[in-house]
Amino acid sequence: MSYSRIAERFLQLVPVLFGVSVIVFLMITLTPGDPVEIMLADQRATEEQIAALRRDMGLDKPLAERFFHFLVNAVQGDFGLSFFHRRPVIDVIAERLPATIELTLASMLVAIMVAIPLGVMAAVRRDTWLDRACTVGGLFGVSMPGFWFGILLILLFAVELRLLPVGGRLGYDYEVARITGMVLIDSLLAGRLDSFRNALAHIALPALTLGLPSAALLMRVTRASMVEVLAADYITFAEAKGLSRLRVLARHALKNALIPTVTVAAIETGALLGGNMIVETVFGWPGLGRLVVESIFARNYPLVQAAVLLYALTYVLLNFVADILYTTLNPRVRL
Amino acid sequence: MSAPAAASMPLDDAVPAPGALLSVRDLRTVFPTRRGIVQAVDGVDLDVMPGEALGVVGESGSGKSVTFLSVLGLIRPPGTVTAETLRFEGFDLMRLSATERRRLRGRAMALTMQDALSALNPAFTVGTQIMEGLLTHGIVANARAAREEAVALMGRVGIPSAAARVDEYPHQFSGGMRQRIMIAIALAARPRLLIADEPTTALDVTIRAQVLDLIDDLRQSEGMALVLITHDLGVVAERTERLAVMYAGQIVETGPTAAVLAAPRHPYTRGLLASLPRLDAPDSPIQAIPGQVPDLTRLPPGCRFRERCPLAVAACAEPVLLAPVGPDRAARCIRTEALAS
Ligand SMILES: Nc1ncnc2c1ncn2[C@@H]1O[C@H](COP(=O)(O)OP(=O)(O)OP(=O)(O)O)[C@@H](O)[C@H]1O
Ligand code: SF4
Ligand SMILES: [Mg+2]
Repeated sequence: MSYSRIAERFLQLVPVLFGVSVIVFLMITLTPGDPVEIMLADQRATEEQIAALRRDMGLDKPLAERFFHFLVNAVQGDFGLSFFHRRPVIDVIAERLPATIELTLASMLVAIMVAIPLGVMAAVRRDTWLDRACTVGGLFGVSMPGFWFGILLILLFAVELRLLPVGGRLGYDYEVARITGMVLIDSLLAGRLDSFRNALAHIALPALTLGLPSAALLMRVTRASMVEVLAADYITFAEAKGLSRLRVLARHALKNALIPTVTVAAIETGALLGGNMIVETVFGWPGLGRLVVESIFARNYPLVQAAVLLYALTYVLLNFVADILYTTLNPRVRL
Repeated sequence: MSAPAAASMPLDDAVPAPGALLSVRDLRTVFPTRRGIVQAVDGVDLDVMPGEALGVVGESGSGKSVTFLSVLGLIRPPGTVTAETLRFEGFDLMRLSATERRRLRGRAMALTMQDALSALNPAFTVGTQIMEGLLTHGIVANARAAREEAVALMGRVGIPSAAARVDEYPHQFSGGMRQRIMIAIALAARPRLLIADEPTTALDVTIRAQVLDLIDDLRQSEGMALVLITHDLGVVAERTERLAVMYAGQIVETGPTAAVLAAPRHPYTRGLLASLPRLDAPDSPIQAIPGQVPDLTRLPPGCRFRERCPLAVAACAEPVLLAPVGPDRAARCIRTEALAS
């Protein structure tokens, strides 16, 4: 893809994000009742306090002006204060985000490591028991509710077998200097193998819970595209050249078959980032998802606004990345 | 036509012709499908002598491609191949291990496929795809030598500015150029046998002649044998010495190309000839053979051409064998004398 095409695709993101901003902005306005009263409902606020908050949030100004301010501030990363934390929303989010990113990446890694070998084997050994087992497992994986699966894993590995810890990212005995905010990486950067192992044990169950349904999806995508690729003439022709079976599969087939897998994986990463609220809650994972859930219950609107906007932004960006990957991997559509 | 009589008489004797490069006896290829078992190749016998050009013709679905994919060992499960004899250069192909057979493929017996666009991998440059075979078979020592050889091969098959285009992808070439690249890949290891499956179908007339000339040149210079699979009887007449006509998975007529085309001894061959546009009388109507190829999952026991044959009689419902009908010739028909007159 040429740079001008990339720039063009990038510019197409602007209207989408604008639309999301409008919706996010209207969240407060459209909430039935006086948002300020609702927000302060549990805090026995005085009339003055309510009036002060209304002024702070600019609710006494006309709608258009408020939206303009919201946009200008949002672009600068200013989403106001989180009442609950009494700190800027953006700081609170920045603190929690690395945990979510870490969990998302670990889940995607699990998904890819499970999906690609199984998808390829299911396609190569098509219509055998292995293929059928993968199909059934895949169906199970995509249709199973994540929290339910998470609870099953907790019961098995944490309660019954007592193999893995549950809750949090790191045992209390460990402490690692925060560099990236991702405990696994920070442990490695600090050369602390012990805390790396401990963090790995903590992330294992939530990453499996989040990753396996994605694995099921990616496996189905990989299998389907691999089946199609294996029937292609260029596979027969590659074999006619006398190439080994392994080379034919690993090079000629896989390079084509993985194009849809990689694309779907990028989109799925966006879905994972935004879809882990339940899993984070079940596993007490101190990430953005759990923060959002807490904030919704606490009617912490500024934080929810910022988080929704962030989800939309990453989702849209990852779709954009998927597009670029697809064209880069596929010489036929490379422009 | 210099091949000894035995080579051209693939009758019921199972003895391979002496000196044949490729000998096939009673080749059968079946595919289990939902609709039943497809008998794609049903008892094919043929020989190819070193340096010889054999034409294989027949309607779509008659089993031409499957026959030679079977010879190459490229039929995938659940398809199965059996043969009484499958010999190539003294190797009993049915007894070779998968690896031994793979070593012959691309090196001693090469293939070009019907559709170059789908036969070339879209994800790799043409250079990579040419180099691969060279490196796999140890024809060149290293990647650099392979690249030089790839450029040389592209030049040899007539691709202009090969050195500049070696790193391009298949879709960046025209149809004729892709066909040449596929030929370059097939010829990389200087095989003794080239199986060219419809090398010119997708090409326009001038390019068609160029590609066929190219294959002819290489045959002359390398002494390579050729199996030319085609729908085009004109191409067969010009470019091959011997001819096998296939119908519904069987060879129905075989013999020296000129003799078969001059006086066909099977009603199907005659029908194919009659369906050609005539050069001497371009306005005369083309007579396509009426009817359809029988369903390969439900083949009748007798002659498979019976339903469409103008000469059919009651006896044609009995099994019909490929029988000698003249010097070096055989036909699978009980009424060949009716055609001879
Ligand atoms: N993998 C397969 N599974 C089932 N049937 C198959 C398979 N491959 C080929 N066949 C069938 O075998 C028969 C012979 O096919 P083949 O490709 O050899 O025909 P052909 O003579 O080469 O025709 P064309 O001139 O169209 O290339 C066809 O009826 C085809 O449908
Ligand atoms: S055997 Fe009978 S049906 Fe078959 S081609 Fe000959 S005459 Fe026709
Ligand atoms: Mg064919």
